[in-house]
Amino acid sequence: MQLPATGNGRQLAPALDLRRLTKRYDDGLLALEDFDLVVPAGEFFGLLGPNGAGKTTLISAICNLIRVTAGEIRVFGHDHSSMEARRLVGLSEQDVNLDRFLDVEETLVYHGGYYGMRRADARQRAREMMDVFDLHAKAKVRTPKLSGGMRRRLLLARALMHEPRMVILDEPTAGVDFELRMELWRYIRRLHSTGTTILLTTHYLEEAEELCDEIALIGGGQLVARDTAAGLREAYGAASLADVYVKAVGA
Amino acid sequence: MSRGLAALTGREVLRVLKLWTQTIAAPVLSAFLFILVFGLSLGGRIKEVAGVEYQAFIVPGLVTMAMIQAAYSNNASSVFQARFDRYLHDVLAAPMRHWEVNLGLSLGGAVRALAVGAALLVLAVPVTGVPVHEPLVLVAAVVLALVLFSSLGVVVGIYAETFDHHMFVNNLVILPLTFLGGVFYSISSLPSPWQEISHANPVFYLVNAVRYGFLGESDVSVGLSLGVCAALTALAVAWSAWLFATGRRLKA
Repeated sequence: MQLPATGNGRQLAPALDLRRLTKRYDDGLLALEDFDLVVPAGEFFGLLGPNGAGKTTLISAICNLIRVTAGEIRVFGHDHSSMEARRLVGLSEQDVNLDRFLDVEETLVYHGGYYGMRRADARQRAREMMDVFDLHAKAKVRTPKLSGGMRRRLLLARALMHEPRMVILDEPTAGVDFELRMELWRYIRRLHSTGTTILLTTHYLEEAEELCDEIALIGGGQLVARDTAAGLREAYGAASLADVYVKAVGA
Repeated sequence: MSRGLAALTGREVLRVLKLWTQTIAAPVLSAFLFILVFGLSLGGRIKEVAGVEYQAFIVPGLVTMAMIQAAYSNNASSVFQARFDRYLHDVLAAPMRHWEVNLGLSLGGAVRALAVGAALLVLAVPVTGVPVHEPLVLVAAVVLALVLFSSLGVVVGIYAETFDHHMFVNNLVILPLTFLGGVFYSISSLPSPWQEISHANPVFYLVNAVRYGFLGESDVSVGLSLGVCAALTALAVAWSAWLFATGRRLKA
């Protein structure tokens, strides 16, 4: 793949570069096998696939949440387990995983601390995030007392606290109502417009088609297809992305 | 101290403070009741043990028991909850070294145990008049106790599959070993073979090291006590360090 060049002629490292990534769980399940994927910096990239296709395993591997069996993962040119790579990635997980002992503001400030932010900077950034995600009124509310929509917003705000260059959103709109989904789309689009690379997994095909520059279809732990939504439709002779999905990975 | 480690330690201490009625007040109250009930009521019947008034004799063991249980149960429950609710992911994904994560999670229990120990002493010293004969030995014994049981709590929190598992270790392992470790008696009063069997109890050495620090009296050489405690502490620290370095049990 031709990488975009910087002004001084150096090639920009891709946001994500996976080489022969393999993950076999302790129970023998092979979740990913020799998986190759390159995501250019600044792209809005979608990952689609049925449950169990390996999407969450892939994300967990990138974010050092599982032990990789084999292969290489590089984030903006850095090994994914390095401190540099970790600082560059923000993760909003599929399941709500907020610290039950912290309130909204503490959730953001402590996250900033984990990522090396100074206390004063983390407080300032937390205030900004609470403004952006309309969480100010809930600043002192402990996370178990938040509504489902507020928790989703807080997850996204937490992922963005340390200003990552790549944000991984694992089904960010799963189980949220239409209004909040539109609101989250606006946040995510705004984020992408600032140059942040977005890696999005979703089961909503129209969401992927609406938001993503490129889409990868995953099935059985392997990359099945990858292109723009239009390119996929053309390659599969399909009228819609849903038809592509059915043909490529089965319904 | 890195900012990540400072933040994680701060989070663990904040948890202790937010739950202070459970984490500090309850263990202080129950240990102080032991001192009042056993020390002051039985103290009239049991005049002295090893040349020390009974009400003062039991204080080091009870302080030890309260502190090691606080350190252990704090870390076991905090780590288990963080794993169970998966908010530990926020820490595991962060740019922190594995030893920093281990240390940050361990320090909450140590801080809680120190708070419990200090509060208990503030209450017990005026009532029992327990002295501190060997402060350096006391500091060494307390540090070893805190590191040993903080690390053990982290290890159990990592292995536990349910909340009951860490309670099981506390109620069926730590508590019996502590009671049988000479908290309320000197093992010199035990008949054979119970006296010899008591030497196989690791908590016996810990209780005696702390007791020597307070009273200058011990059922066993203080060097041996500190040596056994140091060896056990090294094992517990190595175990938790291995878990964080390899990601075993923490990462699928």
